[in-house]
Amino acid sequence: MNTKTTVLGQTYQFRDLKEVFAKANEDKSGDQLAGIAAADSRERVAAKQVLADLTLADIRNNPMLPPEEDEVSRVIEAGINEKIYNEIKNWSVAELREYILSHNAGDSEIKRISRGLSSEMIAATAKLMSNLDLITAAAKIRNITHCNTAIGQQGVLAARVQPNHPSDNVQGIKAALYEGLSYGIGDAVIGINPVIDTADSVKDILTMTKDVMNKFDIPTQNCVLAHVSTQMRAIRQGAPADLIFQSLAGSEKGNNAFGIDVALLDEADELMRKEGTSYGPNFWYFETGQGSELSSEAHFGIDQLTMEARCYGLARKYNPFIVNTVVGFIGPEYLYDSRQVIRAGLEDHYMGKLHGLPMGCDVCYTNHMKVDQNDMDNLGILLSAAGVNFVIGVAMADDVMLNYQSTSFHDIAAFREVLGLRPAPAFEKWLEKMGIMENGKLTSNAGDPTIFM
Amino acid sequence: MEQQLDFLVDKVVAELQKKLGEMGQTAPAGTQKTEVPATPQMEAAQKATSPTVREQLALPVEPERTAHVPNPKWQEGLNELLDSTPARIGVWRTGVRPLTKTMLQLRRDHAAAVDAVYGEVSQALLDEFSMFTVETQYDNTENYLKRPDMGRILNEEGVRLLQERCQKKPQVQIVVSDGLSASAVDANLRDVLPSLTDSLKSYGLSCGTPFFVKGGRVASMDHIGELLQPEVLVLLIGERPGLVTAHSMSAYMCYRPRKGMVESERTVISNIHRQGTSPIEAGAHIGTILSKMLEQKASGVKLVL
Amino acid sequence: MDEQWIQSVGIDVGTSTTKMIVSRLRLGRMSSTFSLPRYQIVERQLLYASAVHSTPLLGFDEIDAEGIGEILRREYETAQISLSSIKSGAVIITGETASKKNAQHIVHLLAERSGDFVVATAGADLEGVLAGKGAGAEKRSQTLQGTIVNVDIGGGTANAAYFARGRAIATVTFHVGGRLIRLDPQGVVQYVSPNISQWLSAKGLRIQTGQAIGFEQIKDIAEHMARSMLDYLTGKERQVSGLLVLGPHLRDAFPVDELTVSGGVGQLMTAGPVNSIADVSRYGDFGPLLGYVLQQEREKGAYPVRWLDPEQTVRATVIGAGMQSTEISGSTVHIKPELLPIKNIPILKLELTSEQLTDPEQLRKEVASVYGMGERLFEKTAGIPFALAISGIGYCSYALLQTIAQELADQYRQTFTESKTMVVICETDMAKALGQALALRCKGAPEIICIDQVRVEYGDYIDLGEPISGTIIPVVVKTLAFDERP
Repeated sequence: MNTKTTVLGQTYQFRDLKEVFAKANEDKSGDQLAGIAAADSRERVAAKQVLADLTLADIRNNPMLPPEEDEVSRVIEAGINEKIYNEIKNWSVAELREYILSHNAGDSEIKRISRGLSSEMIAATAKLMSNLDLITAAAKIRNITHCNTAIGQQGVLAARVQPNHPSDNVQGIKAALYEGLSYGIGDAVIGINPVIDTADSVKDILTMTKDVMNKFDIPTQNCVLAHVSTQMRAIRQGAPADLIFQSLAGSEKGNNAFGIDVALLDEADELMRKEGTSYGPNFWYFETGQGSELSSEAHFGIDQLTMEARCYGLARKYNPFIVNTVVGFIGPEYLYDSRQVIRAGLEDHYMGKLHGLPMGCDVCYTNHMKVDQNDMDNLGILLSAAGVNFVIGVAMADDVMLNYQSTSFHDIAAFREVLGLRPAPAFEKWLEKMGIMENGKLTSNAGDPTIFM
Repeated sequence: MEQQLDFLVDKVVAELQKKLGEMGQTAPAGTQKTEVPATPQMEAAQKATSPTVREQLALPVEPERTAHVPNPKWQEGLNELLDSTPARIGVWRTGVRPLTKTMLQLRRDHAAAVDAVYGEVSQALLDEFSMFTVETQYDNTENYLKRPDMGRILNEEGVRLLQERCQKKPQVQIVVSDGLSASAVDANLRDVLPSLTDSLKSYGLSCGTPFFVKGGRVASMDHIGELLQPEVLVLLIGERPGLVTAHSMSAYMCYRPRKGMVESERTVISNIHRQGTSPIEAGAHIGTILSKMLEQKASGVKLVL
Repeated sequence: MDEQWIQSVGIDVGTSTTKMIVSRLRLGRMSSTFSLPRYQIVERQLLYASAVHSTPLLGFDEIDAEGIGEILRREYETAQISLSSIKSGAVIITGETASKKNAQHIVHLLAERSGDFVVATAGADLEGVLAGKGAGAEKRSQTLQGTIVNVDIGGGTANAAYFARGRAIATVTFHVGGRLIRLDPQGVVQYVSPNISQWLSAKGLRIQTGQAIGFEQIKDIAEHMARSMLDYLTGKERQVSGLLVLGPHLRDAFPVDELTVSGGVGQLMTAGPVNSIADVSRYGDFGPLLGYVLQQEREKGAYPVRWLDPEQTVRATVIGAGMQSTEISGSTVHIKPELLPIKNIPILKLELTSEQLTDPEQLRKEVASVYGMGERLFEKTAGIPFALAISGIGYCSYALLQTIAQELADQYRQTFTESKTMVVICETDMAKALGQALALRCKGAPEIICIDQVRVEYGDYIDLGEPISGTIIPVVVKTLAFDERP
């Protein structure tokens, strides 16, 4: 494996794959915080150059986090189709990048090759792609999933309605839910982040959302994003959950910090098969985000982009209905400004799509980052153009519980209108029935939450 | 007894008539007008030189939240929805974009949040509570944001100051820090801290020398714990600002803080601000938690509340 | 602690029947681990429902207290419930019964025989609200755009409660009930309640004790009574029908959208046709007929309301009393566990205006005036003269807290010198801070009990149960003057 190169007259010798991977990344404050980032642009391009010439076999044969030491690595290894891998193992990363971007590779070709790729190989291609490369590649891939309804089709932009409330007041949640529905938001999922981590509270919220869905015959799915074990308790007590949620990290240690492991995910998966209320076959909702492994000191010196790819490798095992990166939630020590957030959003979306995942994005930021709502407009449009499965809808983008800003109901309506995208087909029919949408346009009723009272 | 009841009924009727008068004849029975919350002002500058109580208790009028949906299907229902959540709902639209007023309000609240991150705690306030200031190794705000590790360690001068001026091994150590919102300290310290002090007095607990940490992170508790070795430590620190409020404070509490503490060993009360967890009630409750920590010799998940 | 169960009992001693239930209520933590603790009742399970017993009477108008006691003793035995495990609940002595001379005796006896729980000696208003809750009207109103009224018709009275958007907004009680007219199997009238004589004459209806009454004639009376009640409830006519109202009249005309009928007569609505004097008199009164004519009105649909089936009929009140009467105070409070439980404390309200909150002089005057009223209204006692319910404060700074605590404590100690305990109920979450501020001033003379997040009004009485797990206080608010609420 060659880890040496010369750029602009200077020779660089990288220690190992971890160093090449880290330094090949675009600038991220998280990699700097971890002390693994490239010192300057020249070193960065040197690392990219080395990476471009590495073969896929080099990456697989030199594991950065060996399967013997980490269960996420084992899940990723076990998922690789050996036949397909053998066909391409001698490709360089550059060749893989070019194949993915070529006109020879359409949706089904990419899906096939994806099965022979490890998360690290996918991460490697992202490091060699410009923002527009990431958009172009992702736009070719449609990963359609079905829970109660299907999303992910060509020309569809779905949305999660996120009607959080600072004290989980069920009426307050319902109020924001009505507002979201009235803007045509909620086809991906009605998903609430709870404040209260008890099974009772989770059950209350699931029951309320299910009642609203039944009353108005809404073709969507519900989910309360509590810890998976709390959701499991609620489901065992009879709570109506269409989807089960969990945040994922890219290493076993990182997942332990979240209070989960593969065995627990397997148990939850089994529970949903037996007691879930939805049609399926997809009933998982995962969230990820660059930097979470570093924040729990579970990154093993590996860069945050690669760790993020490994989350998708784990997610892939469970055939989720939706996955999204909460790209700007974690804070400026991982993604400092709008440039870094936009880059990370495009990377995550591309990598998730290439893993075959139904990838969405919480286009978001916290108030201590150098980001504002204009940057979210930009990333939202870029991801919509890249064919993102869904984004997050929050009333006026202001989440009053999590204290961060995402995309608003208005924003999603605008993404759809500007790019000619539609809600999920079943949901659009329902919107027409409710008089909220006509021929893909909001009607004069849209924006009046009291139509649901 | 009969007379007393009559008196009561008269009083009730009088109150009722007064209220009905205020509500106007058209107000339907059973609905209640939302009162403008009484929110006494606390101007830092005024307080320093013993102001009259009247000044302290002045009531600013908060902007009323109104819905902008032009022809809602159910007007009363819309008010009910707005009353149930601080979320920005009922805002209406022009095409698929928000109204100008709504958009500007969001920008204004974002500006307040950013200011809170980059602002500084009022010196007059710290003087009022006789708190001296120490700094962490954060250096500047940009670095503070990028390098949380540096906000966890006091700088050399800070270490020296603590050793010089603080009582060692106190029962309770109170520390205040700006964290991610200086304005959270400005807005809440005057309510939380004395209420906490009263509570400690009620429980008969003694307190070390309180001080202020500039550029502090939660885990600065560990370093301070090593230096002063209190039995329990409470850190009142500004939270990452949101748009509903940029003035939210958290209280992190720990039994025998020291290097290498993990999150689960800390007990937290968050969301302390005027519209959230009541600052005076939080102060009183923090005292209860600290006394239980001392009783049980534990904090975090091991503490039974 | 995430959850805790408490047992609660409900007892309903009505004019014609007596029943009891035992339920268990689950208190669950409804706050995150990062906020102040807050518990709520998250689940209510019915553990035991007694048979419907005839209320034992001595003559026509006296309840056999010992007989009631005996029924309860047997029921507790069957239910295998020990009195000491009952932590909360309510006893309802129905309208007409309660006005009878031995009501007080019964209440005392029940308190002894039903465990040391919180006892509510309710008036008709609370009874109506509890029946409405038991019948499911309150729950239904949460999803309804408009108003639902439940009328619980028993032997002596009919208690109606109006609900809108999950809140009880008004109550009214009628002299309408199965046992107001009693007759033997031959149709000879045994008793006509004097409470309906005015209404009867205004309607031009004649019925007398000793008279042998024909089926058509008694049906005519029953139909008039049912319609008068419906006229009043729906606001169609209130002059003549108002003669049936017991106690305060409705202040406003409520548009009513939905109607449920519970109680024994509510149950009789579905008991099938009543076509003869024999059918009418099968319980010795005209209750079956009253139920039947109401059912006919429902089928006719002449009134502009939607009639719905109640969730409970004959047991609506007792279920409401046993399962829906208890609330939970906010969980950051100031108490002395050894002082609880306390029962039957009248409410004295201190409603502060923004002027009083910003001007210490005005605050002092208002506290003095309210305490003065408390002095006139309630007896001087070495115990607790009243519970002071403070509202209107909104956000409370530490400075304001000190000002309020100072006024409350100083004047209380001057005015109620004998009182050993001061009870304060705050509307907003501030009980621990205020209790602490008061206690630091009073130093045990008096002791302070301060709870919060319970809504009370003038005329209410309040019971505070023993604390559960330290700081969770079950509270029963006994509303006696519901219609007076704004």
